[in-house]
Amino acid sequence: MIKFKNVWKIYKIDNEIEYIALRNINLEIKKGEFISVIGPSGSGKSTLMHLLGLLDKPTKGEILIEGRNIVNFNDGQLSSLRNEFVGFVFQQFNLIPKLTVLENILLPTIYTRKKLTYDPKKKALELIKRFGLGGKEYSYPNKISGGQQQRVAILRALIMEPKLILADEPTGNLDSKTGIEIMNLLKSLNEKEGITVVVVTHEADIAAYGKRIIRIKDGEIIKK
Amino acid sequence: MNYIFFVIKAAVEDFKRNKTQTFLTSLGILIGVFAVVMLTALGLGLKQYINDQFAALGKNTIFVVPGKILSGGSFNATSALASIKFDNRDLLRLKRLKEIKEISPIFSKQTTAKSEKKSEDSTILFASEAFFDINGFKIQKGRFFDKTDIDKKAKVIVLGPKIAEKLFGTVEAALDQKVAANSVNFIVIGITESKGGGGFGGPDYDSYMFSPYTTGFIFNPEKNYSRFAIKFDESYSVSQVKEAIKKELLKRYDEDSFSMIEPADILSAVNSIFGVLNMVLVAIASISLLVGGIGIMNIMFVTVSDKTKEIGVRRAIGARKKDILVQFIIESTILSIFGGFLGLFLAFLGTLITQRFFPAYIDVVSVILALGVSSAIGIVFGVFPAKKAADLEPVEAIRYE
Repeated sequence: MIKFKNVWKIYKIDNEIEYIALRNINLEIKKGEFISVIGPSGSGKSTLMHLLGLLDKPTKGEILIEGRNIVNFNDGQLSSLRNEFVGFVFQQFNLIPKLTVLENILLPTIYTRKKLTYDPKKKALELIKRFGLGGKEYSYPNKISGGQQQRVAILRALIMEPKLILADEPTGNLDSKTGIEIMNLLKSLNEKEGITVVVVTHEADIAAYGKRIIRIKDGEIIKK
Repeated sequence: MNYIFFVIKAAVEDFKRNKTQTFLTSLGILIGVFAVVMLTALGLGLKQYINDQFAALGKNTIFVVPGKILSGGSFNATSALASIKFDNRDLLRLKRLKEIKEISPIFSKQTTAKSEKKSEDSTILFASEAFFDINGFKIQKGRFFDKTDIDKKAKVIVLGPKIAEKLFGTVEAALDQKVAANSVNFIVIGITESKGGGGFGGPDYDSYMFSPYTTGFIFNPEKNYSRFAIKFDESYSVSQVKEAIKKELLKRYDEDSFSMIEPADILSAVNSIFGVLNMVLVAIASISLLVGGIGIMNIMFVTVSDKTKEIGVRRAIGARKKDILVQFIIESTILSIFGGFLGLFLAFLGTLITQRFFPAYIDVVSVILALGVSSAIGIVFGVFPAKKAADLEPVEAIRYE
């Protein structure tokens, strides 16, 4: 589903010093996988995550999404892919504070150019009920708990029926009990819905949820 | 539809959170729109006022004055030189013209008018009974002088309401009282209704006194007239009448020594002057709109950096550059239109208050213009900050803390 071929990411600091964030990465993610990317901070895992999430482009190499090399995609094409193909879950939840739970979940649908086969509002309400957020539809993010906010973020990722969920330290801002709940939720999405999940973390017990663990250090994958 | 709703909702919620900031930002536009609309309203009111004043003169009036008025639409003073004086021969000749319905010779006398208790500087206009009709005067108390008074050289006087009040306290008290001017005693036979005006360079008829011209010869032994006010027969055109008058007067005077003025001429001249004046004022007021726009641009730049993270999130879930651009332009436009509406509302209130003592009114054009201009400002000054927001790299934005 996703292939990295000899991918390099090099940052230039002040146009002089080069900083190699990712060094010759070769990676394949297959449909239905649950992958944990683990590494210390500064290891390049965030850069990898940004490339996977199509937020950034590699300095060298190819990234193939379902066989298409996205390196030369324009803003519109990349935006569409981010919208339809990937669902993001962030450490700080990153909900829009002035939109309600329901509106936050619906947000990706207003940016889409794809013809939706379902009524987004109906689907959002269904998801809210199914994931135990019933009654919070019209609450604002600051009025619900962290765990609930992260669940809203996951529903926002799910509304477009993505093939990939990309979670960046999804439990980083949660207590361990809530963290486990969120991880179990991601696990069940992977197992029951067949959604590919990639979790980026620096915690080993979170990484342990992955069926495959990719260790990254100094910009290189050290164990697949 | 849904899309726009989301964008507007996000913007409005933002404004609700920062009420003070939103208000202060809109203040520039508010003041600008207020100033422009208010000045336009005053300009329109003034124009209306002047038009009303001239409308009272009636359509079929012409004034004949000595000296040359330079023609060409603009409002020039009569040349001080080459001054002839009209006399009774001119009056009789003009009276014979079939085109002329009514004619009044006019001359004036600066004087100090004295009642029993007070004295007041004023001007007496000496004229015929036709003067009141030609100039559209209405009587408030008593009567105008008539043909009989003219023939009898009656020492009667009609007062404007202001001078009547100054001399006698009230309009009512003035009737049948005596007014002395240069030791000549006049009996007050009438007080006119207010004609307003006087404030803009025109004669303040409310402070004038009027008396038969034949009586006025006491002060004017040469029996000269400084001008004629003429009402002509409607069945003739202005140019026909002017031609007839000219032909008659050319028998005695050369072409440069007299002129004819129609109120319509003066009206268009005055209107053009006030039109230009108003445009200049509005243009100056528009500068505050510009300043307001810059204020909005400034605050939008701040908003963009405050929302960097949010921009990143929106980009991550599929917003294109264009979507971000639209979002911020709509936000600045709402801000600007909000200020525009408040400014318009204040101008509306201001106009209501002003109307108590000065004519002013807001027309549809200035409403549309005010709102159009304020939304245009929102768009124009929103573009740069919005462009900055849209050009943020998604990865940079999402990393921003």
